[in-house]
Amino acid sequence: MQPVRPLLKAIGAFPRSAVFTIGAFVLLGLLAPYIAPHDPNAQDLLIAGQGPTLAHPFGVDHLGRDTLSRLIVAARTSLVGVCLVLVCAHAIGIAIGTIAGYRRGWTDELLMRIVDVGQAIPSLIVSLAVIGIAGVSYWNMILALALAWWPGSARISRAVAVNTMNKPHMEALRVLGASPVRIYFVHLLPTTIGAVLVYATADAGAVALAIATLSFLGLGIQPPTPEWGQMLVDALPYLESDPRQVILPGLTLTLAVIGFNILGEAVALNRVPKPLTSRMLAARRRVTAFWAKEARP
Amino acid sequence: MFAFIAKRARNAVLLLFLASVLCFALVVSAPGNVAILIAELRTPTATKADIAKVEEELGLNKPLLERYGFWLNGAIHGDFGISYKTGEAVGASLKSRLAVTATLVAGGAVVAFLLSLFVGFVGALWAHRAPDVVTRGSALLGASTPSFFVGALLVYAFSVTWHVFPTFGFAGPVSWVLPWLTLGFLPAAVLSRVVRVGFEEAMAKPYVLTAMSKGLSRTSILVRDAIPNIAPTYLNALGTQIGTMVVGAVVVEPLFAWQGIGDLFLTGVRFRDFMVVQACLLVFITFFIILNVVVDICITLTDPRLRLQRS
Repeated sequence: MQPVRPLLKAIGAFPRSAVFTIGAFVLLGLLAPYIAPHDPNAQDLLIAGQGPTLAHPFGVDHLGRDTLSRLIVAARTSLVGVCLVLVCAHAIGIAIGTIAGYRRGWTDELLMRIVDVGQAIPSLIVSLAVIGIAGVSYWNMILALALAWWPGSARISRAVAVNTMNKPHMEALRVLGASPVRIYFVHLLPTTIGAVLVYATADAGAVALAIATLSFLGLGIQPPTPEWGQMLVDALPYLESDPRQVILPGLTLTLAVIGFNILGEAVALNRVPKPLTSRMLAARRRVTAFWAKEARP
Repeated sequence: MFAFIAKRARNAVLLLFLASVLCFALVVSAPGNVAILIAELRTPTATKADIAKVEEELGLNKPLLERYGFWLNGAIHGDFGISYKTGEAVGASLKSRLAVTATLVAGGAVVAFLLSLFVGFVGALWAHRAPDVVTRGSALLGASTPSFFVGALLVYAFSVTWHVFPTFGFAGPVSWVLPWLTLGFLPAAVLSRVVRVGFEEAMAKPYVLTAMSKGLSRTSILVRDAIPNIAPTYLNALGTQIGTMVVGAVVVEPLFAWQGIGDLFLTGVRFRDFMVVQACLLVFITFFIILNVVVDICITLTDPRLRLQRS
């Protein structure tokens, strides 16, 4: 539980506006099946395109499905997708980053050049290419986004790992005769995961946006499942007669992304006061300074 | 300076080579047999002999390294093979669609440039007062709004409600306006923050105090002293945002029913047309790598400190 407690502590220090938006998003996602007033896929063509009523406070779409329920259930689709993508991407990224940071030398060089190429290509292009090769399906979308997001995670975890490896306690462990396996799994990996978790939360907005964009293009979440981007493109042909069905999913998505962007900015500006312990904060400052030095050619 | 450019160019060529290997590997590792696909495209009742003929023709029976050389040589000369779905030459469709995407991105860049400078200036001139608060809020909103939603809102406002611009497709030069605005909106929001923060930092420097003691007005200090100082940062961000706009074109082109490279790429992805995906990917990556080098050189040219350091 080493990495979880500092994260909870960090949430308390996040900007209020971000905590409220993200909190609402997560709560809606977790409780979606219990609070959605209607079945999100139940069609009722007799009331299709109807404006807001007491039964349907946000109106219904062109197939007579309740918009409020669809918006709420879409939060769950998005939340599950974001979590899966982040877990996959950070699993790959942390594994590669820590191996590079632990081994150094040519392994480090080789892995980081691969990361360079991965980072040179925008994530949407990477995920589209992967979907183009693997085909359109839910799991292919998750895989494609994970493949697009791991290089960033690898870069951060390598920096954290290099920093951790240079600390005196690592040398002490070596002198004490700790095996490389023990050093890697017991000492290096947990520290890296803890530090990278904070950055993962800041990435979530971009991932949510990417899922919505892929769904908008018809390459992500497929029609019957409600998803914001897909709801928007679904309602686009009826823009003239019923703009509400386009604007509502767009607004909800924007709100969620704004929450994550405020959070991401706070993390980037180092404005989150105690993300870990004060000792870890100092370590992170050094890491940031290290990146800055490294980024300069 | 020339040594610096040469070094950057060498790195770019290396990166391009890696990217080409990546593109090639992507298609080679794709599931399904390419020869069968093409043979069936030509004659629906393809026999084993037909398939073997296609393999021979495309060199699919040769070793991987030879195939890579053959493909790379073709790609450099603009020959990207033929599409599995339509049977057309991919190079030709790329060429015919290049102009649309280029115009779209160029227009978007102009929109982003003008809008961001205007908004950034307003924020800097009235720092920490109402105009600044409003522009900063809208910049945060703009940076978080997905481009397809911006496009849909613009179409609803300007085409459906006010009938100023046409909705979809091409109908004279005015139909460029909405795609340009859609594409330039997000980069403008991001860049305006760069301008605003850059001015904030520049105005706290000692040379501003000197200029003020000489009796210069705030506006002229902003224009004469602050602009050259934020130019390198701004150019760097503008380069990144042009890259973002090329990606944005993939989303904006289908929204407005334009036939550009983004649309070609999407069609390729949708129908799993590997040759099209591969060719578009290579074009995109080449563009990003060249863009990076150009931005780096521009920054060095605009910043005397870097010029000294790098020459």
